[in-house]
Amino acid sequence: MIYGDKNTGILVQGATGRQGEFHIGLMNAYAKQVGGKGVVAGVTPGKGGQQVHGVPVYNTVKEAMKHHDIGAAVIFVPAGAAADAIMEEANAGITVISCITEHIPVQDTMRAIAYARMEGASVIGPNCPGLLSPGEVKMGIMPSGLFMRGNVGVISRSGTLTYEVVDELTRAGIGQSTVVGIGGDPVIGQTFADVLERFENDPQTKAVVLVGEVGGNLEEEGAKSTNLPIVSYIAGVSAPPDKRMGHAGAIVEGGEGDARSKIARLKKHGIPVASRVSEIPEMVRELFRCRC
Amino acid sequence: MKLREYEAKNVLREAGIPVPAGFLIRSADELTPHLGALGDAFVLKAQVDVGGRGKAGGILMAGKADGTKVATELFGKQIKGLPVKEVLAEQRLDIRHEYYLSITVDRSSKQPLILFTEAGGVEIEITAKEHPELIRNVVANPLMKDLPPFMIRELIGTAPKEIGPVINKLYRIFIEKDALLAEINPLVTTPGGVFAADAKIIVDDNALGRQGITVNRDLSEREREAEKHGFSYVELDGAIGVIGNGAGLTMATLDLIEYYGGKAANFLDVGGGAESERVMNAVRLVASVPTVKVIVVNLLGGITKCDEVAKGIIAAGISQKVIVRLAGTNEAEGRRLLSEKGYEMLDTMDLVVRKAVQVTA
Repeated sequence: MIYGDKNTGILVQGATGRQGEFHIGLMNAYAKQVGGKGVVAGVTPGKGGQQVHGVPVYNTVKEAMKHHDIGAAVIFVPAGAAADAIMEEANAGITVISCITEHIPVQDTMRAIAYARMEGASVIGPNCPGLLSPGEVKMGIMPSGLFMRGNVGVISRSGTLTYEVVDELTRAGIGQSTVVGIGGDPVIGQTFADVLERFENDPQTKAVVLVGEVGGNLEEEGAKSTNLPIVSYIAGVSAPPDKRMGHAGAIVEGGEGDARSKIARLKKHGIPVASRVSEIPEMVRELFRCRC
Repeated sequence: MKLREYEAKNVLREAGIPVPAGFLIRSADELTPHLGALGDAFVLKAQVDVGGRGKAGGILMAGKADGTKVATELFGKQIKGLPVKEVLAEQRLDIRHEYYLSITVDRSSKQPLILFTEAGGVEIEITAKEHPELIRNVVANPLMKDLPPFMIRELIGTAPKEIGPVINKLYRIFIEKDALLAEINPLVTTPGGVFAADAKIIVDDNALGRQGITVNRDLSEREREAEKHGFSYVELDGAIGVIGNGAGLTMATLDLIEYYGGKAANFLDVGGGAESERVMNAVRLVASVPTVKVIVVNLLGGITKCDEVAKGIIAAGISQKVIVRLAGTNEAEGRRLLSEKGYEMLDTMDLVVRKAVQVTA
């Protein structure tokens, strides 16, 4: 696993909001199931002293850090406050920060990520479902029922499309080591290359499924950076140019970042690219066949 | 959202970047009071929300004598199908040299990327391909309010030093106006100094509120309607309507339609929390597209309540066929409700898409 395990205590920023409360419940249900620590503290300014599903809430991250052993944070605060939340956590010394929040202005994201980098923190997202290492830890909103422990890593810019891929893998009997949703915004913290580097140092991960989409060229950049066997899928072959396809970052601009040229470049680097999600399990099996 | 040229130039002017003297007019008659200030030769530029307006006849040269006549001609035109409602009448510049300057969001470095070339007057994409060595670039730490002088020196090279302050002012605009793109093309030198002859600013859609922009002009009427419901929506031109949850899954559904030889009518991401009213609104919106013959609903999520979704589809009561793939909780109940009303519910996205393509074939 990467980014955390059973022993990682999680802080939730925006703990008393609807989303925060709901997902603290789900994260801790999962922690209970796998024998992990789960969410140990929440933060909402002005709501210190309250409890959410038995989890104590503090006014500031630093206050929470005084009372708990915290290794990671998950952010559910509204878009206008999310960049500030990233910086507060990085400043307090939390090194793994998943930001679920969508619609953060990109200038705010750039500043928060630049600041987090200076503080030595890794930001996953924003606009992402977080991550899940089956049997170990869930930091975010992924539906754990679809997952199965194994040795295939998944990195994706999407949410539900990731669940679709995981569902296909699990049905085919292919388990996952860690599944990371890196987010659908143009500027994100951890990129494909960053997560792949972690997977390379993770003895559990033997192969990786890389789920990309239109916009930018981070898929190619990532795929070139690793020696791990990869299967890829790129969404948006039918996306028209200059239209934002749901995600702020999913846009073909100035004739760049379209799915077909991404797929062509990945194939040029020898990476198999699935044309349909349902082809992915068989292509992953093929990777393992080649290696033995 | 893309600002119109005159809006972008107002932003530049307020920031202290010189722009040509210009006046916005909404009819040919409105030109008369400005004829004196515009001088003997000036330019009339249609302010339409479309690219490539110059080649489409949206920019005309005019003089004191024929100004009103040329303006009347321009107001009577359609530029790429759009009527001309606003025209920028602008002083003509005595251009000595053209430069290109832009600031964009660089996804790889996660920082603002500033591009400058002394080889202006040519499309930047062409220069980038044929003479990349002529384009100088720096990435700036977004925590800095101003560009350090060394970065500006690196950018301008042998170009006139008076361009330096323009670069820093554009950088400030980029940050303060929540821009995804701030571009001056061309940035020109004249005997009267440096001027931004044309300008383009794209404002981050996620920051329109705090930039005081209430209506996103880049959206079509149906896209705006979709936005009100909290959907992401893009109109295409096929016969298969698509509703999915999550941008990636919805895109993958469109791709699958293409894979099986069909054509999608739209992209609609219904977003999180697919309760029945939301689903009903989505189905009705897609059904209102004239080309739609069949609708594919593809929803997946550990916490999607299938019975709620089924109720929404049924409540929409539309005439077109709806083919559904649902995975989540209460699947059996959802399936029962749908089949009772004659809707088809299939197990995988491959199956629903193949079925929809068959229906439209």
